[in-house]
Amino acid sequence: MSRESSSRDQWSHLSGIVWQLASRVGLVVGLSLLIGWIAGNMGWWLALGLGTYLLLQLRNLWELDRWVRFRSVLHPPDFSGPWGELTAVIARIYRRKQFHKQRVANLLREFRRLTSGMPDGAALLGQHNELLWFNQKAERWLGLRRKRDVGIRIENLVRYPAFVQYLERGDFTHSVTVLQQGVQQHWLSIHLVQAEGSKQKLLIVRDVTHEIRIEAMRKDFVANASHELRSPLTVISGYLDALADDTELEETWKEPVREMRRQSERMRILIDELLQLSRLENSGELTDNQRVDVCGLLSLLRKDVLSLARRPAEINLQLDTDVCLSGAETELQSVFANLISNAVKYTPPEGRVDIRWWRDSEGAHLSVADTGIGIAAEDLPRLTERFYRVDAGRSRDLGGFGLGLAIVKHALQRHDATLTIDSELGKGSKFTCHFPPERITARAYPAVAGN
Amino acid sequence: MEKADLSHHILSRFNADLERLRTSVLQMGGLVEEQLANAVLALVNGDTAAAEKVVRNDHRVNGMEVSIDEDCNRILATRSPAASDLRLIVAVIKTITDLERIGDEAEKIGYIGSRLATMERPADRYREIKHLGRAVEQMVHDALDAFARLDADAALAVAKRDRMVDEEYEAIQRQCITFMMEDPRSIRRAIDVLWVARAIERIGDHAKNICEYVVYMVHGKDVRHIRIEDVEEELKARSSSAAS
Repeated sequence: MSRESSSRDQWSHLSGIVWQLASRVGLVVGLSLLIGWIAGNMGWWLALGLGTYLLLQLRNLWELDRWVRFRSVLHPPDFSGPWGELTAVIARIYRRKQFHKQRVANLLREFRRLTSGMPDGAALLGQHNELLWFNQKAERWLGLRRKRDVGIRIENLVRYPAFVQYLERGDFTHSVTVLQQGVQQHWLSIHLVQAEGSKQKLLIVRDVTHEIRIEAMRKDFVANASHELRSPLTVISGYLDALADDTELEETWKEPVREMRRQSERMRILIDELLQLSRLENSGELTDNQRVDVCGLLSLLRKDVLSLARRPAEINLQLDTDVCLSGAETELQSVFANLISNAVKYTPPEGRVDIRWWRDSEGAHLSVADTGIGIAAEDLPRLTERFYRVDAGRSRDLGGFGLGLAIVKHALQRHDATLTIDSELGKGSKFTCHFPPERITARAYPAVAGN
Repeated sequence: MEKADLSHHILSRFNADLERLRTSVLQMGGLVEEQLANAVLALVNGDTAAAEKVVRNDHRVNGMEVSIDEDCNRILATRSPAASDLRLIVAVIKTITDLERIGDEAEKIGYIGSRLATMERPADRYREIKHLGRAVEQMVHDALDAFARLDADAALAVAKRDRMVDEEYEAIQRQCITFMMEDPRSIRRAIDVLWVARAIERIGDHAKNICEYVVYMVHGKDVRHIRIEDVEEELKARSSSAAS
């Protein structure tokens, strides 16, 4: 609506200008004709009048041209009539444009000021990873130089091999952490963000030295504390063992001693699991890869479960392949043992547990499915956290500490494997480990026929 | 019109080739920097595993040298570059040789570090080595930055720092001799420390060489075996005469 009216305004302005122009030309023609009629020689007078008018217009045009070119917007030339109106329109357009320009410039300056005060470093990268812009923090942490480094590829200046690899891989879901050596060591976490369809990338860099130190302290504390707790416990349980076997022990003391033995055994298991977990966390990448016979391992574990007094009626083992894995045997053994003992623990005696080992184009897989109590969907994401228990009271009765799945997760990570959990409350759960094809090794000798 | 487009296309591909060459040299540099830093850190911390990892990773540096060398030969054969492009390629061929040597020295430090880790550690915990190592790491880093930025002034500033490294090496040498005279049982360890200091000092020399190639690349002037002050004066005179 307003647009229509403004366009009508424009038309009326334009027609006003045209009308003014036409009336002026008419006036000049009329005047020249009148003087020519009085003085005789009408043609000459007409030519003279129009010529003068034309000269005046040319002069106006020249001045207008000069004004537009040199843009002294605030001082438009003083014209009368249609030229004046035209200059007013042009001046108005200029002023509006300048106002917008000023606003954008202010916005940009404000943005720069804000980003330079940002706690994180930020840099904008172009199509070929060349630096387009970066703030002060990025300048300091990545060793860049203002202005001079714009246009240089980021990987030429930030040369950490881990970062270059991250940049080349093109998968920016996680960040990469690099160690900056210098007078002081700094751990930098670098994250790239790329919007869908955009060729530019945003680089965000953060100093995570503090977090890494705290993490290291926590790991050291757990490792040291568990280690220190173990030696006194060995002494206590040793004497308790001797006491329990003592035939001369008074009858009233027998039950308390048995209970003390059970509890000290529980504590020993907890400390062992903590130590195992901290070993998994602290040891770097897997170095001693050996061939692990998964089929043999699973058969042994099944036999152990079958000998338990309280267990589900059916324990099925299905071996579709006889391939082996390359990795650390003790770690893989604890992964499988934890998964199977969890399934056995949470499945009632009339239920069943299915263990399956198979191979496809994506790698090798192991699944442990049970018909137990199942896990609610909201508990699934937190299941592999340390000491996380869906129902603390129940799992303590069954002798669990909430460390088993944390151990499974860490050991699998070290073998480049992933864990998926499917579960439904009341129906049962299915834990599946996926090992990549690089981890599969052929058996040295053919397996004995049959499962 | 079509012809012009074609030549433009070839040129831009040539440019892309050169740019990729520069990037891969700097990536090799990044790997060498990390190797050096890890080697010195492993030695100072007495970390055998980290030191052995440095030794194991040296083949990656060697592999990169071979592949970049091949790229240079291919560009020389197919594009026959001239002027600054030719200077870039010559500088690259020389730079990767020096980088590879730095990698070898880092490997040596890692090797000695894994041996020193099993011995008794001195009271100062290799503080001098750590300090010298930091200085040289920074030199390598700044030399590569100058290479990336084509910054001849920064390159000269880095080359000047080599003298300080040499002095510090002398100091460590004297200190080791004192140790050996005081306590003959420490001779074995002191010799190892001397080897490490020597390796670090050599790395400083290689970093200086890289800086000289940067000056060559930018100004087309060979500045090897000339005092740095003379080079600076000549470059200044040249730029002022060019300006006037």
